[in-house]
Amino acid sequence: MAGHSSAAVAHTANNPFLRAVAALSTLAGWCSAAMIVAAVAITCQMIWIRFVMNGSTIWQTEAVIYLMIAATLIGLSYVQRLRGHVNVDLLPLAFGPKARKMLAVITLGLSVAVVGIMLFYGYEFWHFAWERGWRSDTVWGVRLWIPYLALPIGFALLLLQLVADLYAVIAGIDAPFGLEDA
Amino acid sequence: MDPLLLGALVAVATIGVLFSGVSVALGLLIVSGGFLVAFDGMRSLELMPEIFFGKLDNFALLSIPMFIIMGASIASTRAGADLYEALERWLTRVPGGLVVSNLGACALFAAMSGSSPATCAAIGKMGIPEMRKRGYPDGVAAGSIAAGGTLGILIPPSVTMIVYGIATESSIGRLFLAGVIPGLLLVALFMAWSLYSTWRSGEASVLSAGRYSWRERFEILPRVLPFLAIIVGVLYAMYGGVATPSETAAVGALLCLVIAMVIYKLWNPKDLWVVLRDSTKESVMILAIIAAAGVFSFMLSSLFITQSIAEWIGTLEANRWVIMAAINVFLLIAGFFLPPVAVILMAAPILLPIITSAGFDPIWFAVVLTINMEIGLISPPVGLNLYVINGIAPDISLRTILMGSLPFVACMIVAIVLLCLFPGLATWLPDLVMGPSV
Amino acid sequence: TELRLSHQWSDNDVRHKVAQIVADEVAAADVDLEIRIFPTQSLFKAREQYTPLSRGQLDMTVLPLSYAGGQQPAYNLTLMPGLVKNHDHAARLNDSEFMGEIEKILESDDIMTLVPGYLAGGFAGKDGCITGPDDMPGKQTRAAGKAFEQMLAGAGASIASMASSEIYNAMQTGVLDAANTSSSSFVSYRIYEQVNCYTPAGDYALWFMYQPLLMNKSTFDDLTEEQQAALMAGAEKATAFYLEEAKKEDAESRKVFEDAGVEIAEMSEAEFNAWRELAKETSYKMFIEETPGGDKLLEMALSVD
Ligand code: NA
Ligand code: NA
Repeated sequence: MAGHSSAAVAHTANNPFLRAVAALSTLAGWCSAAMIVAAVAITCQMIWIRFVMNGSTIWQTEAVIYLMIAATLIGLSYVQRLRGHVNVDLLPLAFGPKARKMLAVITLGLSVAVVGIMLFYGYEFWHFAWERGWRSDTVWGVRLWIPYLALPIGFALLLLQLVADLYAVIAGIDAPFGLEDA
Repeated sequence: MDPLLLGALVAVATIGVLFSGVSVALGLLIVSGGFLVAFDGMRSLELMPEIFFGKLDNFALLSIPMFIIMGASIASTRAGADLYEALERWLTRVPGGLVVSNLGACALFAAMSGSSPATCAAIGKMGIPEMRKRGYPDGVAAGSIAAGGTLGILIPPSVTMIVYGIATESSIGRLFLAGVIPGLLLVALFMAWSLYSTWRSGEASVLSAGRYSWRERFEILPRVLPFLAIIVGVLYAMYGGVATPSETAAVGALLCLVIAMVIYKLWNPKDLWVVLRDSTKESVMILAIIAAAGVFSFMLSSLFITQSIAEWIGTLEANRWVIMAAINVFLLIAGFFLPPVAVILMAAPILLPIITSAGFDPIWFAVVLTINMEIGLISPPVGLNLYVINGIAPDISLRTILMGSLPFVACMIVAIVLLCLFPGLATWLPDLVMGPSV
Repeated sequence: TELRLSHQWSDNDVRHKVAQIVADEVAAADVDLEIRIFPTQSLFKAREQYTPLSRGQLDMTVLPLSYAGGQQPAYNLTLMPGLVKNHDHAARLNDSEFMGEIEKILESDDIMTLVPGYLAGGFAGKDGCITGPDDMPGKQTRAAGKAFEQMLAGAGASIASMASSEIYNAMQTGVLDAANTSSSSFVSYRIYEQVNCYTPAGDYALWFMYQPLLMNKSTFDDLTEEQQAALMAGAEKATAFYLEEAKKEDAESRKVFEDAGVEIAEMSEAEFNAWRELAKETSYKMFIEETPGGDKLLEMALSVD
């Protein structure tokens, strides 16, 4: 069986590297949750301004959108740590312990590669916006490097967590795919 | 390479990668990245982060975490138990009354929660142990809650309807309304089956145990008031000119958090953090799939696969109901393996032109699609609700849960057939409230 | 060679037809060049097209240039209240020194214009008509474009930002009192079912948006001479078509609203001038503040007769 792993979070044993990454991911998770709460508050404020005060709402929609994007990107590593990203582990379940570990190394390796690509071009995109002083085409006119910053930061954190997961599997600290009963 | 052949290649690769245990969001990025490099060159690969970001650049997505917070905050209090107990005290004389009240509680809870697992957990925590204590078979107890929980995405608000609305640019207000009558229809079908199976088991007298005086029955009613307050508040905000449907979600989230804190005394920071953590986890998981599926559909479109498939199906000249049946089978199979959000996002850009050119209403189709996805939620290998039940009652085997939910799957198929025969079940209410669709 | 053209509209929209004409002409010229059109944001989202176009990741697009106003503030002049009076004036503007300056800025981002063109829009009010600035105080309004938001706020309106697809619902539930958008959006989103009064683009119109067909310049330069000639010939044909259709679209929207029983209001010359005075104090002023060399550009644009 597979699915939304209700299994324990990624194991760290007493390895300092794994614990540091785990702490960083947890911190990112708090930031992500805080941004979601801020988005709720700003949206309610916007409705209040418009419906009760009949005033203008210039910046709220945009701020909420950027907060949600940042919450997603920054939260990626935390959810990875909690094994909250839904997956289908048909093949791992069909495999024996050795093949399963091999598959875990391959999938984590591919994940590291694709997240590395996202980080590299995400950084480039952010840098482009920063260098050229891009702003959003609204009255508020946010300097776009600020919301775009979530791309390199979010993917860097996720990359770190994935590398930690890969290391934990190879070193035998964590079971492949979190499937304890191999 | 011929786009159709390329499409088949993408399908095989996607299935292979997704079954390998990698998370759905990263799996979609891996497949997209691979095909973009191989068939479109570096220039498209460079665009991936930009498109990932851009897919999230949509105000309507705000409502996803908001509707999840609504469900999670209320689910973490004893509100679900209150609701269920109130219904039980009133329905105790009906044979099988306990199952019926559980289903009713699921339906009511679904009107506040946008996600199915949350609905399942909220009612099941109290409902399953209670049903087993009173002599209901494990399969009935677990199956009814697993199935009742799926109502979370059909009865508004609904996260999958929001995702569909974004993917197809349909009105979210209209989609929500379209789910109401089919949702009630499903509740009725579920209840009818439960009553029938209880009656057939011949133990009706045992099963209707538990007697309550009228005093006890009225005593509990005030405890249902917070629910009514939330539902009425959200409906008023949405259709009363206060806010657009996506903004309403924030009002609902705030309302639920406040009610959970004030009425149910959820003010211990640790408990609040659990609510917030679980909501963040589920939201980020869904939003990441949305963004990654955006990159995936960019890849399909860039390689001209989407367009070629739609064209190819257009040339088949099949009967529109044959097409609809084929689409349903396809969705059903996809739903077995993938979470609803991923199926909707990957399938909508390909299916929508086919649906509309065959003369089907996209709003009606959203309801059919949603019921289809509900089946996926209670079927292996990826049935989110099954795992929630498994978490609540670890001693009931997955096999028993599965067998218990099978009859409810049959009810859902009946509902889809009824929707095909009477499309008005889905379209009548939105047309009545919001005027005929564009 | 295959070129990719992305835009945000459906395939019965004027702007799709403009792209289609160029694609058809190029195909007919038989110069080993094919333009593949991705309509309805099926490749890129509307506001995400400019960057890939300038970086050569996308070959062509039909785009409201003001969408890129955050990257090149000068583009905000292509959606500025009172700058364009009517479609013939817009056509003269396209050939002016002002547009030459815009073309230079495009070129600095490695982009060139193939088909220039303006489309117009108007105002719709849920209760009363909107013709002059005096109609705005206290109205929850959705405006199309930054400069219009600044001007309308200056007139005392409350600004609510939302996608044009949300106007219908917001008007129905009473979240919005008034909206300003293009003639075609008013029709395609069936706003006539929700409003009492419509002020279409007429003899005096405020809202004109520049929406050219653009191409990556390096990609163009890499084509053979025959291919370039075929593209330019197609572009010329499309330009004429675009102007004719743009005029028709305003008349059509007027008729649709009229047939739906909506009151039609006209903007008078005095009202147009009042808007323009207000714009000078609000949108023009802010444009000059945030755009290096903005005052000169504005002057150039205003000097076109
Ligand atoms: Na729901
Ligand atoms: Na499933």
